[in-house]
Amino acid sequence: MKRANAISGIILCAFSLVMLAFVIPGQISTGPSGMMSPRLVPQMTMIGIFGLSLLLVLGNLRGGEDDHPPPFSRKELLALLRISAVFAIAIVLYEFFGALIGASSLVIFGLLALGERRPLVILTLTVVLLTGLWALFYKVLGTAIL
Amino acid sequence: MEYLILGIGDVFGGTTLLWVAVGVTLGYVLGAIPGLGKAIGVAVSIPLTFYLEPVSALGLLIGIAKGSAAGSAVSAILLNTPGEPSSAPTAFDGYPLARQGKAQKALKMGLFASVIGDFVSTIILILLAAPLARYALLIGPVELCAILVFSLVFIGGLSGNSLTKGLIAACFGIFFATVGLETETFVPRLTFGYLELEDGISLVPMAIGMLAVAEMIVQAGNLDTLDRETAELRDSSDPRDRRVTREEWRRCAPVIARGTFIGAAIGILPGLGASVGSFLSYGETRRVSATPEKYGTGMIEGVAAAESADNAVVPSSLIPLFALGIPGSVIAAILIAAFILHGLTPGPLMFQQQPRMVAGLYVSMLCASAILLVIGLLGQRLFSQIVHVPLRLVIPGVLLFCCVGSYMETGSIFSIFIMLGFALIGFVARKLDFSFVTFLIGFVIGPKLELSFRQSLQLLKHDASNLLGHPIALVFLFAALVFVVMSGRSSVTRRVQMPPTTQEH
Amino acid sequence: MKCFERRAILGLAASLAIASAGLLPDLAAAQDYPTKPVTMLVGYGAGGQTDLVARGAARVLAEQLGQPVNVVNKPGAGGAVAARELTQAAPDGYTILFHSNSVVNSAPFIMDQVNFTPDDFEYAGMITAYQTGLVAHVDAPFDDLKGFIAWARENPHFAYAALSPEARMYMDTLAEANGLEPNAVPVQSGGEMITALLGKQVIAAFSGGIHYRYPDELKTISATTTFRHPSAPDVASIEEDGYPIGMDTRTTLFLPKGTPRDVLERISDALSAAADDADFKKVTDGANIPIMYMNLDEARAEIESTYAKHKGILTDGS
Repeated sequence: MKRANAISGIILCAFSLVMLAFVIPGQISTGPSGMMSPRLVPQMTMIGIFGLSLLLVLGNLRGGEDDHPPPFSRKELLALLRISAVFAIAIVLYEFFGALIGASSLVIFGLLALGERRPLVILTLTVVLLTGLWALFYKVLGTAIL
Repeated sequence: MEYLILGIGDVFGGTTLLWVAVGVTLGYVLGAIPGLGKAIGVAVSIPLTFYLEPVSALGLLIGIAKGSAAGSAVSAILLNTPGEPSSAPTAFDGYPLARQGKAQKALKMGLFASVIGDFVSTIILILLAAPLARYALLIGPVELCAILVFSLVFIGGLSGNSLTKGLIAACFGIFFATVGLETETFVPRLTFGYLELEDGISLVPMAIGMLAVAEMIVQAGNLDTLDRETAELRDSSDPRDRRVTREEWRRCAPVIARGTFIGAAIGILPGLGASVGSFLSYGETRRVSATPEKYGTGMIEGVAAAESADNAVVPSSLIPLFALGIPGSVIAAILIAAFILHGLTPGPLMFQQQPRMVAGLYVSMLCASAILLVIGLLGQRLFSQIVHVPLRLVIPGVLLFCCVGSYMETGSIFSIFIMLGFALIGFVARKLDFSFVTFLIGFVIGPKLELSFRQSLQLLKHDASNLLGHPIALVFLFAALVFVVMSGRSSVTRRVQMPPTTQEH
Repeated sequence: MKCFERRAILGLAASLAIASAGLLPDLAAAQDYPTKPVTMLVGYGAGGQTDLVARGAARVLAEQLGQPVNVVNKPGAGGAVAARELTQAAPDGYTILFHSNSVVNSAPFIMDQVNFTPDDFEYAGMITAYQTGLVAHVDAPFDDLKGFIAWARENPHFAYAALSPEARMYMDTLAEANGLEPNAVPVQSGGEMITALLGKQVIAAFSGGIHYRYPDELKTISATTTFRHPSAPDVASIEEDGYPIGMDTRTTLFLPKGTPRDVLERISDALSAAADDADFKKVTDGANIPIMYMNLDEARAEIESTYAKHKGILTDGS
């Protein structure tokens, strides 16, 4: 964890510097005079982050035993990739084919990505969830959501 | 007083009670499903309220608000995905309790704390609405700024293991809150040209992403471990783990009282929202506890603190609405529309012109608390079965509901992108142990602090000496200073006393 | 309500199916309009003034047109997000926007990202107006604009609540013409503005009409519209007092450019029924919103003339 802290500290330092130097001046114009500048609070937070992440790096550079396991396990990162892929597919399908296809693909590909292989279960769950949503909004609440 | 009798008669006579029950149930279910929440329930119920009688319509809407504040604890405890951001602290201790086989105990305490907080706060509303509201007017921007500074002091207690990381998270929270049109100069900040960002990042999709979707990803990465744990644990055979023992009641009673008070106080201040109430209550309870380091491992007081405050906010946030006609929250704004629709003009005149309707409303609100208890107890058996469902079937369902909940916020897929973006941020933050509690607090309090600071500058005519004209503000600023000094001293003494353990910075 | 629901579900399922399959051309002739439910977008969130009126109007339209009218809130950028979505909808009359006309005749001059012109839309009528005005607490030591200006001269650096750039523009115009030095206190919502007024934190504010909910505590000093407020007929408009900067905002039915005229006429006629509808009146009276119906041609004329006028006010003024 100490290593992770140090690395994240360095990344945050760099991030805050980039924000201060480029993004904030680029995205926020200075307001009219006489009022607190719109850039003030964003700049203050980035300065705060810079200082604090520096502290973070320094506090974790000293050697010493690292008694916590590394934070990112391989399985979790794989899960992140898998679920991101599922969302990407679902969104693309939504844009082209509409909400029904998009929502079903989210469920179907989600189940597949998580290891479910029984086609009956996949189908039933999809139907149940989508009908449940439809029933909740259209019947019980009586409003269209699309 | 005779109106109260008439009010009781009205409520029990007609179908009002039925609609209140419908509202509470709907709110509870929507709150329990991660991703959906009360704002959705209330917003989509508006068309329904056109057709109902006034007290029924209002009872329905208020019932939804109450139900969801309690129901959101369910998914927080069982799945570690809070139904609403305000139930996030409930998950800290509720989820560990559930993993220890004590799910029913945690659920029950959550429900009891919710109902008590809700009921007491409703009584406060009824008794004190009018006089309190007049005082609420005294809280202007200058006073509000001081109060917010005071509440920031509690961030220290909520940072988890590392104060540095907690503060970094808070800074990020404030930073993300600046996205949008700045209120004084109307200069767009960090919108990158997106029209959709001009109103800022919505709390709901962001919270859903950070709390629910991120959690689902983490659980997806640990499917085997989690499923194995679930298979091994049955609800422990000790019946005491399925209910709340007298000993626990004794420990939690002061916690619930404190939580209710904090929730009710925060609720009156317009705009702070339920999220802040439950966090502050949790933080405060932990701060005064004899064993703060045990919080996060399954202290039932944590659940009690969060849920009582969470529910106490709902009735008290209606105080400015009832007494002055000013909405203090999104729910209240929608309620105003419903009030007007049915001929009630919220405000001081309401008590004189429509006392019978007001009495009926009060009675139905009290009944809602009782109904909440019943629905909660019934629902728990049902909901707690979800722990026995294999996670790989639960996760896609939760993800779907999260998408729906986010989409409902603006009616466009842009919110889903926000949700996904913050899911990534939440995933990374969680793994690197950056507290999202302080992030959320920074996000919610930050902009209000900036706005009230700007307002104060103008009201004080850029002259600090004018602060003397605002005694209330001075009191809070002084109190904040005192607290900071005291906490600084006590944490130093604690560090000296405790053996040097892992001192992560 | 039940049969509306069923039709709503069937209709929406049908439209979803058609949309998913890839948009067959809408062969239904305009005379048969409407043959399926209509979607009404609202550019503000649920529960506000505009949303309230929109839902009331939707009910009237549904009765008149014989098809359900579903209100969908698409808040964002003061209505610009919803307006932009409308420009991408098919001009067949099944997607309409109910919103304040300020999104076309004010927002383009204030917000960089918004550049609508009156020609970007078709109009099917206007129904209510916003009673915007300069407002103060009843205890304030002035009753009309002249009194306010005199008081302001004696009390520089007074605080007023500003909710929008238009509010600042009004005050800045008054300040420039009379040598005043106001301190603008920013507020984010109508509720905050009212709180600031009731709590006497600020001496005055520019309100969009909700101040009429507090007749015993707040009074109107000047009507910033070109007409006198129906709720305060004794208060002169800012134009009468010599400042030609009155800006009228009215709720308008927008439709995508290219919608056939007979569809517009149909909707416009349906809308006119709202002026006499008892339920609609209940809503608007309860919220102190005056009904001022204009048909499709009057609406277009109104938008075009106010566009030109506001351009002059908002781009030269600031």
